Amino acid sequence: MSRLSFQEKMLWAQLLGIGVVVVFYGRYLVHAGPGHHYFHALLLLLLFLFGSVRLIARRRSGNVVEDERDHSIASIGARWSNVILWLGIALILVLYWDHGSMHSAHFVIGILFHLLVLAGSVRIIRELVAYRMSA
Amino acid sequence: MKNPLRNTIRELRAARSMTQQELAELISVTRQTVNAIEGDKYSPSLEVAFRIAHVFGVPLEQVFQYSPPRSRAK
Repeated sequence: MSRLSFQEKMLWAQLLGIGVVVVFYGRYLVHAGPGHHYFHALLLLLLFLFGSVRLIARRRSGNVVEDERDHSIASIGARWSNVILWLGIALILVLYWDHGSMHSAHFVIGILFHLLVLAGSVRIIRELVAYRMSA
Repeated sequence: MKNPLRNTIRELRAARSMTQQELAELISVTRQTVNAIEGDKYSPSLEVAFRIAHVFGVPLEQVFQYSPPRSRAK
């Protein structure tokens, strides 16, 4: 019998996926020339694939895959993620007021995308810690 | 902080030769949640607490006991 619930397994899979893409990005793409930064597209594709697999797994499983403990842990994760997002938005505004401009739309989209990845990673890690603490 | 809620689910389950998985299915939660409740790591909602008591056919206070934390000496 598995020690990990369906939700925990999914969280580990998400963390692994983000980890692999971030390592790949840091190792191969960070020094690549313009036009080779397909990290964003890769991450979006990975999230889409993961979402599809999760949906199929949920539908196939006849067991309970989510309960009130899962919901309460998810709300803890969402709270942490929201804090990161608010801090990030505050940082963007400070940058804007400091420089008087946002350089370019590409720059803003880049910051927002990395902010979302960071918030997502923090949410996953916080939820995994909460699961282990109440296991 | 120490959980002030204690429970006798493990004993009640053992008396009925019931597994955590069986209890989990009867009260519509995951086996991991039953394990967390048994280990006093997670306090269930009132509804789940009543469902557990209903499954064992005992009053709620026989399943869950509340021991308030000791207040500091005045």
